[in-house]
Amino acid sequence: MKIPVGIPVFVAAAGTDPRFAKMVSRYLLSAGVWLIIASAVGLLEAFRLVNPELIADVEWLTFGRLRPVHTMTALFGWSSLALVGLAFYVVAKSAWLPMNEPLKKAEYFFANLALLLWNVGVGLGIVVMCGGDINSGREYREYPWYAMAPIFAAVGICGVIFYRLIARRRVEGIYISCWFVLAASFWVAIVVLMGYQTWWKVGLTDRIIDGYYIHNAVGMWFTPLAVGLTYYALPKLLNKPIYSYALGVLGFFAHLVFYTVIGTHHYIHTPIPAALQTTSVIFSVAMIVPVWASTGNFLMTMKGERLAISHSYSLPFIFVGTVGYGLASLQGSAESLPSVQEILHLTHYTVGHAHFAMYVFVTFLIWGCIYGLVPRMTGREPPVLLVGIHFWLALSGIAVYVVGLCAGGHVQGDSWVDGEPFMASVRKTIPYMVWRAVGGSLMMASHLLFFIALWRMRPGAFTMAFGDRS
Amino acid sequence: MVNIHTSHRLLFILPATIYLILVFVCAIWPALIQQELDQAVPKPFPNELADRGRELYRSYNCVTCHTQQIRADHRIHKEVDGVRVVPVLKADARFGQEIATQAEEYAHHEPPLMGTQRTGPDLMSVGARLPDAQWHYWHLYNPQSVSPGSIMPPHRFLFTTTRPPADQEFDFEKVHLIKGLGVPKGKELWATPDAKALVEYLISLTREGVVQAEEAGG
Repeated sequence: MKIPVGIPVFVAAAGTDPRFAKMVSRYLLSAGVWLIIASAVGLLEAFRLVNPELIADVEWLTFGRLRPVHTMTALFGWSSLALVGLAFYVVAKSAWLPMNEPLKKAEYFFANLALLLWNVGVGLGIVVMCGGDINSGREYREYPWYAMAPIFAAVGICGVIFYRLIARRRVEGIYISCWFVLAASFWVAIVVLMGYQTWWKVGLTDRIIDGYYIHNAVGMWFTPLAVGLTYYALPKLLNKPIYSYALGVLGFFAHLVFYTVIGTHHYIHTPIPAALQTTSVIFSVAMIVPVWASTGNFLMTMKGERLAISHSYSLPFIFVGTVGYGLASLQGSAESLPSVQEILHLTHYTVGHAHFAMYVFVTFLIWGCIYGLVPRMTGREPPVLLVGIHFWLALSGIAVYVVGLCAGGHVQGDSWVDGEPFMASVRKTIPYMVWRAVGGSLMMASHLLFFIALWRMRPGAFTMAFGDRS
Repeated sequence: MVNIHTSHRLLFILPATIYLILVFVCAIWPALIQQELDQAVPKPFPNELADRGRELYRSYNCVTCHTQQIRADHRIHKEVDGVRVVPVLKADARFGQEIATQAEEYAHHEPPLMGTQRTGPDLMSVGARLPDAQWHYWHLYNPQSVSPGSIMPPHRFLFTTTRPPADQEFDFEKVHLIKGLGVPKGKELWATPDAKALVEYLISLTREGVVQAEEAGG
């Protein structure tokens, strides 16, 4: 076994345009702030499921209103901004652009404008949803249209910049990371347009669009971005090529074809046309192909690198994220089966799965990419002990959370099938709600540590001294 | 030859085109078909107060914890006098309904509040189970007073404990006090117009027409 010796981060960072480092850093710090807000709100909601009297008399902070505040801020504030910020770096690097001027002056302006629009959208969304203007009943698009509009514009701007960066690459081939980033920017624009169109809003028609929207918002945006970034970060950090490039291409196209059509699996056993339900279940199972194409690819790349992973503060996050991707998606495929839904659909199990996917998979990969790539851009490393504590707090927190909710979901679903009074299913799940709050507290603590680490990595004296702005 | 590995134009156009085709097949096309079916269903009688209540139900985002769907067990094919009956999934049988929700029931809902989580009980037919407005006021003010062990958050901000001015009294509704409600001693409890609208909506959820259709068919 060998520890791969890459170049030290400050050498890698030298010559980076300070404007670039600052811009990416702004994206990540914004994302970090939204992460803390989203998890604080989520934690309050978790405690409320144990004690409903908690801050119960404030109409603006009632349980129903804060729930979409938690989900939407985590999705469109934290995950999206962090992924897009990192994507700027990954696209610029994998397009072999000169780091002393990766973006043109106008592109910096628009990238910063996109960040501003994005933050305005998320902030406005929080305020108006607390005030009661919720696009209720339409999950993951609870923002009223005027809060989503700035975010949509920002996605468009970033998509155009990604395309321009790829177009002026200094290498013939386009690396697979760029495939995922470019495609995801287009896909999510269509997803948002479909979510806010006005032609199919009434009756079951709306539910058909809803099924499509729920799963495409997750699967055609967060998943391809997180996977795409990992295709760059993992080989880079291990200082070796990816196990199989062809598997990446297979994963890309299988993802596109299979993931798009699985949305209706949120509405099994409902009056939505049976053909759609069946199609969604079949392709949900078929998702095993793209998921394990990427997961397997990453795991094979990591094979024999145990020492390197254990000596790195970023690779453990990527390892957990990779395993999380494979397992959460397998869980999702299993959950789509009608006979499984009979017991588990509508229970807390679904929430456990959602966190498994968005946290163990997406968020851990984001953290891995941030800890691995940001020092190579700013020349500043985070305090290693802090990152270690962050890792273990987050991992133990989410483990308690996911195991607790999945077990609680089983208890809840069994209670329904057994025909017990409904209140029995509520009473029986209370202990699991306590575990959820405990897990949530650990995760919240880890996010505060993460923010400190992120702050310590921000561009500073080094970037200004050794940065190069041509 | 143009190659997706080296042409950024093709790399953009190909996945975009495939995606748009798939979106048409799995969302737009079914939506267009469904739209015709939905529009053929006659509109129900308007109930302004209940409609306002529905908007409040959405504003408080009750769908976070309460579904409005009685799921179907498609494995069982049952026909009564040539009319196909859709039996209810075992887990959903508790809500006193014998047939699963039909597409027609949602035809004019914007949007149908089917929900994806059932932390609290299903409300598709809550008006049939609990037709008493007073019960709903007690439950909204303090859920545990009528449903011991409930983890529903109280909605006390929908009530006032001081008597409203005489000229507005009609818009409010007096709530009878029961044990365990937690109203301060010597105070009265009045449901605000918002609470009245919300409860009117809940009581209107009876599935009445559906049950009748079933009886006519069977």
